[in-house]
Amino acid sequence: MRPTSTATLTAPTATGDRARARTATPALVWLSWALAAAAAVQLATNPLYVTLVVAIAALVVQSHANRGPLGSAFPVLIVAGIAFAGIRLVLTAATTHGTGDVLFTAPEATLPRILGGFTVGGTVEAPVVARAAAEGWAIVGIIAAFAAFNAVVSHHELVQAAPRAFYELGLAVTVALAFVPSTIAAIAAVREADRARTGGHVVRRGRLMRQVVPVLESGMERAVSLAESMDSRGFGRRSTAGEAASGWLGLGALLLLGGCFVALVARARSTALVMALVGGAALVAAVVVSSRASTRTRYRPRRLSAREWVLAAVPWITPTMLAVIGGAAADTLRWPGDVLAVPAVALSPVIALAALAVTPLTARSA
Amino acid sequence: MITFEAVSFAYPTASGAESGSAVLRDVEVEVPAGEFLLVAGASGSGKSTLLRAVNGLVPHATGGRFSGTVTTFGRTTRDHPPRSLADVVGFVHQDPEAQFVVDHVEGDLAFVLENLGHGRDAMRRRVEEVLDALDIAHLRHRSPATLSGGERQRCAIAGALAAAPSALVLDEPTSQLDPQGAEDVLGAIARLNADLGTTIVLAEHRLDRAAPPADRAIRIVEGRIVDSGHAGHVLATYDGAPAVTRLGRLLGWMPPPLTVKEARRHAASQVDPPSATMLTAARASAPGDPLVTARGLRVELDARPVLHDVDVDVRAGEVVALLGRNGAGKTTLLRSLAGLQRADRGSITVAGRAAYVPQDPNSLLFAPTVRREIEHTLRLLGRSDPPAVDAWLTALHLEAVADRHPRSLSGGERQRVAIAAVAVGGAEVLLLDEPTRGMDAPSRTALQHAVERHAANGGAVVLATHDIELAARCATRAVVLGDGDVVAEGEARHVLTGSLFAPQVLRVLPPFLTVEEVAAALDRSRR
Repeated sequence: MRPTSTATLTAPTATGDRARARTATPALVWLSWALAAAAAVQLATNPLYVTLVVAIAALVVQSHANRGPLGSAFPVLIVAGIAFAGIRLVLTAATTHGTGDVLFTAPEATLPRILGGFTVGGTVEAPVVARAAAEGWAIVGIIAAFAAFNAVVSHHELVQAAPRAFYELGLAVTVALAFVPSTIAAIAAVREADRARTGGHVVRRGRLMRQVVPVLESGMERAVSLAESMDSRGFGRRSTAGEAASGWLGLGALLLLGGCFVALVARARSTALVMALVGGAALVAAVVVSSRASTRTRYRPRRLSAREWVLAAVPWITPTMLAVIGGAAADTLRWPGDVLAVPAVALSPVIALAALAVTPLTARSA
Repeated sequence: MITFEAVSFAYPTASGAESGSAVLRDVEVEVPAGEFLLVAGASGSGKSTLLRAVNGLVPHATGGRFSGTVTTFGRTTRDHPPRSLADVVGFVHQDPEAQFVVDHVEGDLAFVLENLGHGRDAMRRRVEEVLDALDIAHLRHRSPATLSGGERQRCAIAGALAAAPSALVLDEPTSQLDPQGAEDVLGAIARLNADLGTTIVLAEHRLDRAAPPADRAIRIVEGRIVDSGHAGHVLATYDGAPAVTRLGRLLGWMPPPLTVKEARRHAASQVDPPSATMLTAARASAPGDPLVTARGLRVELDARPVLHDVDVDVRAGEVVALLGRNGAGKTTLLRSLAGLQRADRGSITVAGRAAYVPQDPNSLLFAPTVRREIEHTLRLLGRSDPPAVDAWLTALHLEAVADRHPRSLSGGERQRVAIAAVAVGGAEVLLLDEPTRGMDAPSRTALQHAVERHAANGGAVVLATHDIELAARCATRAVVLGDGDVVAEGEARHVLTGSLFAPQVLRVLPPFLTVEEVAAALDRSRR
């Protein structure tokens, strides 16, 4: 249960630890930044512009990241995004065929009707690959925005800022996040213990079992003592009928909004609209009912200062400007990818994207 | 005031409705407001259950068969679950890591206040006060995951104390901590009791520091309270008592001392102190062949040097105590000797095999029974050797629990299972990392005997430990590490003598290291 050996030794020391002070930029500002950055990537999928957004996200991480495994997960998430884009590229190249220079011809096979009946393999054309790569890179751009958000935000503060109706849900998420570092440490300790047991003699057979069981059992024990600790500290006390009602309303709202999304995908627009309206109403009702009913109080709620409002608003300059530029005729926001050439770049989108860097450059660091 | 009236309890068994054997039997205790009560007893004696019953975790969180009445500050636990007692009882668990709900110290302190619905201003004030009461104001914005064990446990206590409860219940709060962390935590608890009048109910195995501030002690054996009264009197007949208390009993000092200072006073007026000339010769016979030789060992972790040019020799028949504060490089040295950590420079030669037992036994245990756990190591090595399994079960006093699930055992028992599971592989050199953490007195004695036996059979043992008393009892040689260097090395008695960290008996009656040595000397002079 305790981190041992490697984990202990590489754990951050007290002296090198940077405190997450209250003067740090509020979670809501970063949320606003991340949404604006993601919107910018959607509006300007030109790989060079996306690269600019990824660079700004890296700047955010570099200057504001929290300590600990969540704070240092940025590169891992980027690599995961690139891997995902790579897989997507291979699948697209194998199944989509267009015109243009043929890079090479792969063996082809036609799938049976039941699996869709399309042809896999065959000619692989350069424009298809280039376009898929650009689309994949845009996905990486969006992942970068949220990975940076994850690295800099105080998850606890985010839960505190969430409406009352989502408190329990948010708490479950923070508790789960708090398990991440200890689980990583436990995995390292268990792997080492497994090697130590035989004095360095490595036995592969049954290793998964030997390594998974201790990690899970330690996690279970921890969960039980955490539950006891929460119970002893008054969690769940005096839950009123109103809280239960808001819980059901909140759940209903989530289901309806989810259904609305499904309906949109299925192109059933009127159903989607009804679901969205009812879901939205349920959401508002849940928030109102729960904030009236709750006996819980909130410790040091964070109010945004005027300066912080500005920091939250500035990133939205980017998508606004990009939308305007996109309306003009000859824009460089999208790259057609028909011809293998360096995508064209114009000055105005670059200036628009630079607005995304304002918040990280002027926000107070933790 | 906390009262237990005829309380009996049995945990539910896995098979269902039937409850197992009773863990508490007819317990009657009364803890007046403001008292510091120490609960002593071996692992599995029912200490934890008794503590959990104070705020109703037993039986509300556990189920099982409960009878009798527990009244905590006017509320019975029958009618009030733990969450309804949160404003009168704070509960602290032995594992400091598993009690944080919020990954932010200040937010975690406020958790109980938010649940109780305190007003904003009251909340602010309480949090500031509690930060000061436990001296953790500088940690307020940190994540508990980045704190040391002692700091973390102080934050956990603050989290239990934030609602200003009348009583604080602590279940072995220092068993996972190093001596410095334990001292900080117990100092904070004693201060709360003395300054704020908080009632304290504390269970602990290591009593050197926990016993002196207690007003009263009770001793539990198999779920019954067998003794209650002044801590010195109650502990005098208890294995797990501080060394000075056991020394006091041997020499007939009344009342039995709890601190070195009290013991010194008695020793000064002792008419006929045991003579040093009666001390048995050094434990170590001539050391045998070298089993481990490390020369110029240098290890860096995260570009930070952890060991600089360390030379170590371990010979057959030796028990080497590796001492030093946290972060001095003890674990790294053991891991290097075991081949788990690559050295950046230097050489390690091991004759035969060296096997390492990690600090946390939980990272090793996965089999459904203790016996299968131990057999599994042999299976991995492609052997089958039932006599060896039985020999280690006996050596570490695990026969009685051989068919139980390792995870159902106490911390000290788990640690012994882990040692048996590694040692059964037949490695000549055993490297034990902090083996007595969370162990009760019988477990420590069993470990000591197993270590001595392994050395006597031509093996060698290296113990990285904070447990000076254990080192005094079984080490033949001691190596002290400081900031990655060997700062002292030699015969154990020689190294421990004159050290600030000398065992208690040595500080009272030099040159004796242990109560057993004094007893042997007395025995001889009588003959």
